[in-house]
Parts: sequence; C-alpha cells; structure tokens
Amino acid sequence: MSAALFYLASLIALCGAAGVILAKSAMGSVISLLASFFALAVIYLLAGFQFMAAAQILVYAGAILVLFLFVIMLLNLGALGTKFELSFAPFQSARAKLACAIAVGLGLIGLIAAQRASLPESVAQASAEPIDSVHNLALALFGRYSLPFQAVSVLLLVTMVAVMVLAKRKRVGKGNEQ
Amino acid sequence: MQDVPELVIWIAKIVLIFGGMIATAAIMSLAERKVSAWMQYRYGPNRVGPFGLLQPLADGVKFIFKEELIPAGANKLLFRLAPALAAMPSMLTIAVIPIGTTAVIGGREIPLGIAQLDIGIMYMLAIGGLGVYGVILGGWASNSKYSMLGGLRAAAQMISYELTLILSILAIVALSGSLDLNEIVASQREIGDWNICTPMGVLAFVLFTIASFAETNRHPFDFAECEPELVGGFHTEYSAMRFALYFIGEYCAMTVMSSLNATLFFGGPSVPFMPDAHWALGVLAFLIKAGFFLFLFIWVRWTLPRLRFDQLMRLGWRVMLPLALFNLLATGAWIAFTGDH
Repeated sequence: MSAALFYLASLIALCGAAGVILAKSAMGSVISLLASFFALAVIYLLAGFQFMAAAQILVYAGAILVLFLFVIMLLNLGALGTKFELSFAPFQSARAKLACAIAVGLGLIGLIAAQRASLPESVAQASAEPIDSVHNLALALFGRYSLPFQAVSVLLLVTMVAVMVLAKRKRVGKGNEQ
Repeated sequence: MQDVPELVIWIAKIVLIFGGMIATAAIMSLAERKVSAWMQYRYGPNRVGPFGLLQPLADGVKFIFKEELIPAGANKLLFRLAPALAAMPSMLTIAVIPIGTTAVIGGREIPLGIAQLDIGIMYMLAIGGLGVYGVILGGWASNSKYSMLGGLRAAAQMISYELTLILSILAIVALSGSLDLNEIVASQREIGDWNICTPMGVLAFVLFTIASFAETNRHPFDFAECEPELVGGFHTEYSAMRFALYFIGEYCAMTVMSSLNATLFFGGPSVPFMPDAHWALGVLAFLIKAGFFLFLFIWVRWTLPRLRFDQLMRLGWRVMLPLALFNLLATGAWIAFTGDH
C-alpha cells in the first residue's frame, strides 16, 4: 500500500517537475509545481515526517507559490489560453541541450553515489537521528544544529533587507515616493 | 458496543462531524438573511416552510437546476477546478477539531474528533491556507477584469493576514505547549485555565478573530467580492452549483474558524465551573461557543462598513503583524520567567 503510494507520489512529482519546464504558459508551470509540491509532501508523510509534510504545504504551496501566482497575474505574462499546452521549444537551442546533458550527468553521479552509500560521515550520522516528532525536530534544530539554523536566519534577513533596498531605490528614482 | 469494528466508528464520526458542518453551512446561509433582516427591521425569507426554515433546501434545488455558464476564453480546466479548490480545504480542516473530549458509549472510549494528529494545528494552517488558490485561480481562469482584480485582492489580503493568524496561534501553542488540538483542549480544563484568561491570550484572541475575518473574506474585509466596485469579484463569471460551491466553502471556512476560536481560546468542550462534566455536556458547550462566533461573523457583517483596500493593508502590516510579533515575544518571556505552560 505505502509502496504503491510512494511510486504514485514520485510519478506525480516527476511529471509535475517536467510540467514546470514544458508548460507553455507561466500559469501552467505554477500549477505543475503545485502538484509536484503536494506529491513531495506525500513522500515526506510516507517517511514519517509529519511536520516536514505540513511545513512543505504551508510554506511552499501556501505561501511561496501564491506569491508566484500573484506576480504572474500582475505581470500578465503571455496570453490566457483556454487549455494548457506543452512546448518543447526551449530545448531546441544548443545551449539548452548542453545544460540538459550536464544536469542529467550530475543526476546520474548523484544516483551512483546514493547507490554506493558513499555519503560523508556527518550526513550519514545526521540522518540516523530520529527527527520524526516535533519535539525531536525542535531539539535537533535548536540544540545540535542551532548554529546553522541561526546562520540561515541571518541569510534570510540579509536577503530581505537587500530586496527592500533595491525596491526602495527604484521608487525614489521615479520620484513618486510615498 | 465493544465488538463494533474501529472502521464503523470512524465512518460514523466522519459522517456526523462532516455532515454537521455541511448542515451548519446550509443553516448559516439562512441565518445570514434572517439575522440581517432582524437587524434591519425586515422579515427576511419566510415563504418556504415554517418561518422560511426550508429556504436552504429550495436554494439548493435552484442551484442544481440553473444553467452553468463557462465564459468564452476562460481556461476550462482551472475554471471547473477552482470552486472545488476553494471549498475543499475548509472541509478537510474540520477533521482535526475536537468537538468533545472523550465519549464513553457502552463502555468504549471514543475520542470526539475525526483525526488525532500530533501536528493538528500545523495541518489546519497548511490545508486551510490552500483556500486562497480557489479564489485566485477562479479569478484568473474567468478571463474577466473584475474577476482578476478580485482574485488579486484576495491573494494580497490572504497572504497578509495569514501571517498574523499564524503568529497569534503560535502564542497559544507556546502557552499550551503542544501543536495537538486535543492537548490544547486538555490544558484548558477549568475556566481559569482558558487561554483567554491570560493577558497574551486576550491579545492573541483579538488578533486571531480579526485575521479570521480577513482569511474567510468576510465583512469588513470582503474585498475579493466587493459588489459596488467589482460586480461580484472573483466569482463574477460563476453561476449555478459552482457559484454555490464558493459559498459553501466560505460558510465551511467560517464554521472551522469559529470552532478553532472556541478551541484555542475558550477551552473547546470545557464546561465552565464543571471540569468533570459529562461528555455530552462538553459537546453542547463546544457547539454554543462555536455558534456564538458564527453569529459574530453575521453580526459584524451587518454592523461595520467595509474598509478601503489601503486601510486593510496598513492594518494588516503596520498594526496586526507588529502586535502579533510582540505578543509572541511576550508569551516567550512569560513562559521563561514563570516556567508556566
């Protein structure tokens, strides 16, 4: 049962990922990405990470993708079609083909590495600790990994401030600051 | 009672709780008109059945037999999908709300809630947050300016107020020490333990209630539909049952928000001054509390005027969000200094 669910979810995740690249309209890409995120959440659930699954949906599907939608609607990218269509046009150029080849090659290397389980020692150790419950996750996040956790928060803060500065400068330049 | 299979009990719970919510949505559609009539000194619907009580049934039949229009140039897949996307999340989230403590029927203990999740409130926020898709996609797929503007407004509004909603709930999670709604209820057994009885609880309650009005697109924050400016907003192009689905979704979302309000701040099924009350009394207490907040939704709608959109954004980002952040900080300090969960 869970194996069947896993394969189904993986299939949806992969199809969704392909749809993101192949969809002709930006809206089609967003819908594909949404399907992919949901499938990933199902995989997290199957692995027993309830919190991760909920966070995946809350943050990615519920917030980030909504923002994407918002931007797409504001920019009105492309004409609104009555149906979703796939397009392979972006893969016609030589550069795109090269990029695909590199990506597939890297993916294969990753696959072989995973098969041989030649992961670095620390990564293997980290995955051995159970972080399935919220309590354990909090202990890991605020205990052992508190420094990387803080570093990521600072990185996010820097990004936020940078975006504010960039957006603000443009507005002052136009002379219609509020 | 002991030899009834677990599956039968599950199905019974789902039918009762889910059916109860759908029935509440139907009753709310009548109550909205009845209460508004009462507040404006009118009669309201009173033709179908005694006191107009069968009006929701008549409406349902009418919705089913109306013609469904899909505008030319609309994205057919999304146009059909959007109402379901709007209604589904609020229907799913009722699953984790404990409508009572533990029922004892024929010597068998049955927890009164469809699902007992460790991450109950996370599940609720994650799934509930998806309701915005129905509104945005419906507005976009209609290929109409009014719908599009309604969808855009809904997106901006729901993102803005979801932050406040989550932060105000986080304060309660910190006070109760669990994400599990059953645990949050268990930590408020007596009236003195209710989260509303702490200073942070009061602020969180005010923020949560305001944010829940914005999240369900209700007055005074109903910019997504806003009849005088946008005709009907995101559902301008919708007719018949798809239009009805949007409304069922809205009423279900109101039911869930009211239940959550009762659960988080007023002890859910806890009966005041009777901590050891019978479970049936607890269910009744829960229904009364949730019912009051449902009434509040209607009460506010027919009392307050609609805000302007810039006022809404200013309120959300400059007042509600800082207050919610401050509240979370204060809750943390309270717990750190008193060691009291």
